[in-house]
Amino acid sequence: MGRRDWIKALISSAPKGTKALAPPDTPEGATLSRMVPREPLTLLAGIGVIALLIVFVLLPILAVVTYPPLTDYLTLPENGRWVRAAMNTCRMVVLSTTTATFVGFVYAVAISRPELRGRWTLRLIATLPLFSPPFTLGFSFLLMYGRFGLISHNILGFEASILGWKSLWAVQTLTHFPFAALAIERALAITPARLEAAARNLGASGLTVFRTVTLPLVRPAVAGAALLIATYVLADFANPLVIGGDFPLLATEAWYRIDGWGDIGGAALLAATLLPPALLFFVAERFWVSQRNYSVISGRGGALGRLPLPRLVTWALIAICVVIATLILSLYFGIIAGAFTETWGVDWTPTLDKWPVAFSKSDHLRNSVVYAATAGLAATFFAMPAAFLVDQRAIPFRRTVDFLCVLPAAVPGVFIGIGYLLFFGGTPLAGTAALMILAFTFANLPFSYQVLRSGLAQIDQNLGKAAANLGASRLRVLWDIHCRLLWPTCVSAWTATFISCITNLSIAIFLVTSATQVTTFSILGLIGDNRLEAASALTTALLAITLVTVLIAWRLSRTPRLLSVVVDA
Amino acid sequence: MRDAYVQLIGLEKRFGSFVAVCDINLTVPEGQVTTLLGPSGCGKTTILSLIAGFQQPDRGEIRIKSLRVNEIPPQRRGAVIVFQDYALFPHLSVFENVAYGLRRRRLRDPELTGRVDKMLSFLGLIDERAKSPLQLSGGQQQRVALARALVVEPDVLLLDEPLSNLDAKLRVRVRTELKEIQRSLGKTTILVTHDQEEALSISDRIAVLEAGRIRQVGTPYELYTQPVDAFVADFLGIANFLPATVLDTSQGSVLLDTPIGGLRAESIGFRPGQTVTVVLRPTALRLSSTSTAGTVKATVRSTSFLGGFRRYELLVGHFPVIADQPMSGDADNHTELWLSVDRGAGLHILPAGPRS
Repeated sequence: MGRRDWIKALISSAPKGTKALAPPDTPEGATLSRMVPREPLTLLAGIGVIALLIVFVLLPILAVVTYPPLTDYLTLPENGRWVRAAMNTCRMVVLSTTTATFVGFVYAVAISRPELRGRWTLRLIATLPLFSPPFTLGFSFLLMYGRFGLISHNILGFEASILGWKSLWAVQTLTHFPFAALAIERALAITPARLEAAARNLGASGLTVFRTVTLPLVRPAVAGAALLIATYVLADFANPLVIGGDFPLLATEAWYRIDGWGDIGGAALLAATLLPPALLFFVAERFWVSQRNYSVISGRGGALGRLPLPRLVTWALIAICVVIATLILSLYFGIIAGAFTETWGVDWTPTLDKWPVAFSKSDHLRNSVVYAATAGLAATFFAMPAAFLVDQRAIPFRRTVDFLCVLPAAVPGVFIGIGYLLFFGGTPLAGTAALMILAFTFANLPFSYQVLRSGLAQIDQNLGKAAANLGASRLRVLWDIHCRLLWPTCVSAWTATFISCITNLSIAIFLVTSATQVTTFSILGLIGDNRLEAASALTTALLAITLVTVLIAWRLSRTPRLLSVVVDA
Repeated sequence: MRDAYVQLIGLEKRFGSFVAVCDINLTVPEGQVTTLLGPSGCGKTTILSLIAGFQQPDRGEIRIKSLRVNEIPPQRRGAVIVFQDYALFPHLSVFENVAYGLRRRRLRDPELTGRVDKMLSFLGLIDERAKSPLQLSGGQQQRVALARALVVEPDVLLLDEPLSNLDAKLRVRVRTELKEIQRSLGKTTILVTHDQEEALSISDRIAVLEAGRIRQVGTPYELYTQPVDAFVADFLGIANFLPATVLDTSQGSVLLDTPIGGLRAESIGFRPGQTVTVVLRPTALRLSSTSTAGTVKATVRSTSFLGGFRRYELLVGHFPVIADQPMSGDADNHTELWLSVDRGAGLHILPAGPRS
């Protein structure tokens, strides 16, 4: 479950996996495919999908890997700074993944307890980082706890640089623990209370039940979350730029090669070294951990509530969660307060003076919104036929297509950015807004594709058959059944892609030109120029746009009938 | 001596303003199967979870072997439950599932393995010991759940709708197995079900529940032949409820006026003019193609062949009557038949008028 999955789960009223997912290779699916004649139009659509996947997914990735000559790969260990970057990356991934998963686990246990009253608030706070640009927490950490930080300097009286790996570690933990918290909470929620009751009934005490039943059942979810967090930390690019100081990491070094040296070969080389571990995490998550999920049959007789925890444990959980939630809230407070402050750390006069600076970048905001919205539409529109054709087995090289559709999920954003830069440099697309939108679209394809696949798989095959049986043509069936039922899924796919794109930095930073500036990039520039208040204002504006979009999408996906009426008219 | 092994005394449980169970008084004798029978939502599973200790009663007392257990936590109650969907641990093998309770009782090898394997062999599961429960069929999963409960030698075995997840054919076989296992171990058992056939075939005693209260307790035969009210009669199989008026109570029996004519029953305590309901099982009715003394004309509305017998839906005047007849080849093309009450069948009379 990635970030977008959670956004989707949060805003969507789409089927929540209550119905058992039919595995994609059921014989039922096979019989249906035999009913589908090989229409020339279908075949043409299939070929189109394949061609686009090759050009926009496969070739850019290959371009990065094949760009540096082999000798460069061999001399990599001789560059001291790069070896250090690799070691640092390794250390950061291990440290941050461990702490983020652990904190997430504790948080999940707390918010899954029904006796905890404020758990809705706690969950809401944990989801905030999902809707923010990746560097939000790093930036705010600087505001609150940095050299001139509100808490560190003005309240506690320290004056010390906090740039460095320890702060980065803290920020990575806070930014990424929500993935673990939400994934593990979901796993805890689907662990039937009856299993715990059965263990109790056979003589296990509260802690023994947790150790022998609950923990083993959520272990796959914990492992999956850890691998996902490892992927994110490995690829994260924005927080190290903002708060890492002189702590070279592979992802940031790749950017410095291009930014400072114009050395695109070195950048490609560094990005390529990110690929093997990223693919490893991806494959491990997808083919190892997710196979181990115990599809616990949640049958009838769910009246049994969960047995309460000991009071001491409950209080300890609450204490930990409140500390974390407060920390997160303080960081968001820092961003918003920064937007209305004269000079952060020096002059605390409330002011609106910084907003004109932010609004002078309104064309960047507009670009961000337009690119993200278009990419969301494009990803959903492209994913729909791809998912449908794969689902119906009406496409040649089905497994390869399936693989290419999810491949970008394994590839760090930096890698995709450099790939598009290399492969499309020199073509008419180079430097255009269209290229940025295409990069966003295909980088986010896996999410749209996967939710639509599972959405299609959850639609009862008999619904289509029933409609056909009552006289609907195949197109009519697609429209009446699949499109109607998948509408909430499409809305959430669009929203999640939108948020992912509007908050993206790692791809955009390699593709921006003066004509295609996006907000995240200009915020980074403002932070670099130490114009923290204007950066806060712009971040606040971005957060507001994101939240409003989520709210609208939430409304839309909850009233599917209203919109289908509009579409019909 | 069959003592009161499990006792429920004035048990009551509410969820908010909803009364789940109320005024439950029940004595469960040692070594027998006592069944809680009722429609869904009648509170029977709540009683089970009160006995197991998953929930606390708001009022009343639970005693196991004359000991009050209200305050004893579920893990030390000695009342082990077989869940409706078995609640097998999906991350543990069959062996480990069965061994779970023994490990919690700090049993060590070789005794642990010995007891688990003995139980697995007893239930014919020894070849599956290393498998995951998810690889087993429904019937096998059910036996694993049973083994897991029996191996800890509980004071009481609780069965929550044990057969409801099995298909019809398997259900009858497992039902027989279950009964044999229970008989051979003499384990005091409380069974919860909504299936009257299951209840009648397995139980030594049945408590019929409706809306959180016990309507009647008795042996299956008692409940079938002498239900205290129309709910119990109806729940334990198809019955005809004839509204009747008492005409005469002299001669030590009552004479009743019913829609199918005058009936005489051995019963006391009624007075002339009283309105009552006569419960007549469909098997207590006889049909013939010729009119004789004591028969009444019935119009055949429909008949259905149900294997061992044919079921007739009849009208006597305007009153609908159901009668089951053993196979008679020539009777099915008649539109009019003559109905009488089997003299051997005892009439059961309920004091009140029929349920609407």
